[in-house]
Amino acid sequence: MEPRPGDVVAPAATAAIATDAVVIGAGPVGLFQVFELGLLDIRAHVIDALPHIGGQPVELYPDKPIYDIPGLPFCTGQGLADALLRQSAPFAPQFHLGQTVNQVHAQEDGQWLVGTSTGTQFLSKTVFIAAGVGAFEPRRIKLAGIEAHEGTQLRYHLGAPSAFAGQDVLIQGDSDTAIEAALSLSATGPHRANSVTLVHRRDSFKAEPERVALMRERCAAGAMRFIAGQITGHDTQDGRLRAVHLTRPDGNEQAVPLDTMLVLQGLSPQLGPLTDWGLAMERKQLVVNTETFSTSAPGIFAVGDINTYPGKRKLLVCGFHECTLAAYGAAPIVHPTRPVLLQYTTTSTHLHQVLGVGHGTGDKSRDKS
Amino acid sequence: MTHVVTESCIRCKYTDCVDVCPVDCFREGPNFLTIDPDECIDCAVCIPECPVSAIFAEEDLPKDQVHMTAINAELAQLPNWKSITKRKDPLPDHEQWKDRTGKLSELIR
Repeated sequence: MEPRPGDVVAPAATAAIATDAVVIGAGPVGLFQVFELGLLDIRAHVIDALPHIGGQPVELYPDKPIYDIPGLPFCTGQGLADALLRQSAPFAPQFHLGQTVNQVHAQEDGQWLVGTSTGTQFLSKTVFIAAGVGAFEPRRIKLAGIEAHEGTQLRYHLGAPSAFAGQDVLIQGDSDTAIEAALSLSATGPHRANSVTLVHRRDSFKAEPERVALMRERCAAGAMRFIAGQITGHDTQDGRLRAVHLTRPDGNEQAVPLDTMLVLQGLSPQLGPLTDWGLAMERKQLVVNTETFSTSAPGIFAVGDINTYPGKRKLLVCGFHECTLAAYGAAPIVHPTRPVLLQYTTTSTHLHQVLGVGHGTGDKSRDKS
Repeated sequence: MTHVVTESCIRCKYTDCVDVCPVDCFREGPNFLTIDPDECIDCAVCIPECPVSAIFAEEDLPKDQVHMTAINAELAQLPNWKSITKRKDPLPDHEQWKDRTGKLSELIR
């Protein structure tokens, strides 16, 4: 995956990070949750499965226009994510990207221990699940017995091209990511693979035509090859994947020997372990009350597409409203001795301070938010 | 949960739905489209696109179409049912079939 604006790679922590809030999901709603929490003096760490921020709109519709954000007659998914990141910047959220939350445990003192797939742990007073339709996971290849090679000879992420130097690599997929990987591994240089075979079920591609043209040039130059066919079998000997069998469009079979197989069939959202956290669910969504957007567990809130309540509509504007009330719901948990006051960003000197902006005029008659 | 294509699609196959699916979960057979329940994310954007209102959320299926949940799942696994992501012309005799009900016997696997 190409790095995008907002990419932050945090090191794996050895001890649990103590925090007021953990936000699960760096989509638009998760990012706005950070902002609303910040206004109430609650700092947040944000976790996302993808290596970049933006969630669904960036992953599924990056260039499709969005017309229903209040005050923004038009924006794109990427543009909205970038703007929300800028908006939350005064509150310095810390991002933990490329990891999924695999455990949420209640602590005796009412806090939550949150653990991720890469070993990061948080001890947090509150948790905000803004997980949308789930964590975007690579689509796995469906072939009996092949899963035994996952993580060794079967990979779902390109990672560092140097890991493939001198190897016979088979890449499956027709997306820009798949073709980019084939171009990268077959490029002249010290890390070049011994051979690169791109496989897709037919000779037509979802990828941009310019990129496909580059791939065809590379094939013509003999630096890689493309074979149309479906992977229908594999040879595994002594625990090692030796070759895969392709069934070509004409029905003939062909074996392709390989060292590593890179499957890049795109991403698909998965709810994953969230369903095991003991939270009340309905239709695979988290049931919340509409006063605070708390789930059935005190201190765990759910906002955006992941939640459900009477009248729920999966719209960004509803998610933003939910974040606002969830932040107010969390304030008494995080700051139990402080009264929760309604403040306007237009007039509150305290909010101006936390936002790092100049003091307003305080003229309430003209200047109400 | 998933979304489900009901019998209304049989012998029509308008394919307006596939253009809007953000996760490419439609599969195409000879005279019907099916939704792969492992891929569908329940975003519901396909529902209003279908000119014959053939698509429902699993929970909202009319009683006489509940059997289509299992049929969608089964068809999505058939090797000859391929992913379809771009709209194409409906079947030639779609006009004759679009308002007919009880078309399950017409389904070609």
